Amino acid sequence: MKFLKQVGDYAKETVQAARYIGQGLSVTFDHMQRRPITVQYPYEKLIPSERFRGRIHFEFDKCISCEVCVRVCPINLPVVDWEFNKESKKKQLKHYSIDFGVCIFCGNCVEFCPTNCLSMTEDYELSTYDRHELNYDNVALGRLPYKVTQDPMVTPLRELAYLPKGVMEPHDLPPGSVRAGQRPEEILEQMEK
Amino acid sequence: MNPGIDLQGTFIQSLKDLGIPSGAAKAIWMPLPMFLMIIGATVGVLVVVWLERKISAAAQQRIGPEFAGPLGVLQPVADGLKLVFKEDIVPAKTDRLLFTLGPIIVVIPVFLSYLIVPFGQNLVIANISVGVFLWIALSSIAPIGLLMSGYSSNNKYSLLGGLRAAAQSISYEIPLALSVLAIAMMSNSLSTIDIVEQQSGYGIFSWNIWRQPVGFIIFWIAALAECERLPFDLPEAEEELVAGYQTEYSGMKFGLFYIGSYVNLVLSALLVAILYLGGWEFPIPIEMLGSWLGFNEASPMLQVIDASLGITMTLLKAYFLIFIAVLLRWTLPRVRIDQLLNLGWKFLLPVSLVNLLLTAALKLAFPGAFGG
Repeated sequence: MKFLKQVGDYAKETVQAARYIGQGLSVTFDHMQRRPITVQYPYEKLIPSERFRGRIHFEFDKCISCEVCVRVCPINLPVVDWEFNKESKKKQLKHYSIDFGVCIFCGNCVEFCPTNCLSMTEDYELSTYDRHELNYDNVALGRLPYKVTQDPMVTPLRELAYLPKGVMEPHDLPPGSVRAGQRPEEILEQMEK
Repeated sequence: MNPGIDLQGTFIQSLKDLGIPSGAAKAIWMPLPMFLMIIGATVGVLVVVWLERKISAAAQQRIGPEFAGPLGVLQPVADGLKLVFKEDIVPAKTDRLLFTLGPIIVVIPVFLSYLIVPFGQNLVIANISVGVFLWIALSSIAPIGLLMSGYSSNNKYSLLGGLRAAAQSISYEIPLALSVLAIAMMSNSLSTIDIVEQQSGYGIFSWNIWRQPVGFIIFWIAALAECERLPFDLPEAEEELVAGYQTEYSGMKFGLFYIGSYVNLVLSALLVAILYLGGWEFPIPIEMLGSWLGFNEASPMLQVIDASLGITMTLLKAYFLIFIAVLLRWTLPRVRIDQLLNLGWKFLLPVSLVNLLLTAALKLAFPGAFGG
């Protein structure tokens, strides 16, 4: 009797496993008829979202060498090279650099910079052949990235959060289609009323 | 004399009519089917590689290859060419002979097995009376090649990979052979032609899949495991083992393993189509269709249509099974080696044995329906 029960249980488990496999197959089969959501990268790029934390931009002339960025950085990454100018009795900045091979893009330095000389850009294309090339000096940090939407070589595509309700992929969106939910200015308008 | 077209006979006869002695005519005929087999198998592999990549892409909502040729059909050719031009590295202190022999031993039996695949009444390279048996015998040579290449690579992981591959191949050989045995018992023959013939009576209703549903599933699982297809691709296991026994292989030697596995997949699908899905038979019996439409059965026109329909049907069935194999790849997770061996020895083996015994009993009880 015990043996029969074992066989029965085993058979039940087998049937169940077969049913699960069938369910799985139906899911993958259903996926076959969906459109690809591929972004064909060098030709098409996603528009980074509003608060995207990309490569950090640095404005040399605004910097007062206070080194707040170094103190708030989790690993004291920014290198601020300054000298005290005795005539003007001010710190004079000589060099500034951040190594993006080590940076975690937490944005603390941008947040705490008293003169707003640090800011986040949309630049995420940081690949190099040598990681020491990622050590950006103040000249490299001062360069502004090219905007995806202004690059004639690139088709800009909207991210999922910026698509109209129910639309899953950004290809062939009708012009003027608005993202789901309210835009900040609409919310502001409502609040003023 | 079989009905239907006899390519070999006509070819030899026409050469004889040209004044070539019969021995020479036969010698001229001989390389033709061999080349046809190799070309057919290679083209089949290219098609399967392309299909695999396209279907995988569709299942994951990607695009897949699209730049090489229209819809990327030339992608497998490009891949192959790249492999040909890659440097052929032989690691230090390997057994050179075994290292070179390994992939060859894996590939050749698979190509040889195409001898017994029939695409029509006379469209088979060798109609031998032990056809299926020959295939099983040939497919058990491959583990030796796997073991050989794993052992000769001078690398512990390759050796382990080779051992795993051999263990897997051997443990799935037995349920495979047992389910084939049930088919052979029902059709009273080991010849692939006879097996298809026996399924031809009532069109789709006489296919073996209705009489051997369990055998069909066992055979398909075992065949997938046999040609190391996912979810049973443990010997390779890209993410875990870094390609098991073929770690040290590069260039065309690696390419041979690759070709071998894909040829094996096509072959398994073809054999499932032949053993269980009625081979070249149309779902409606073609003779019946011909007599309804008022064709003479011996007319050459009908013979040609019949032959091309046979090839199409076999390929259609095979590629349907390959499609299912690709879908399975993206549905099921890879099994562990102990799960694999458990499934082989503790589940498939007893179930296929019971299936064999049941078939024997049913054959005695209902000789009409089960080929008495």
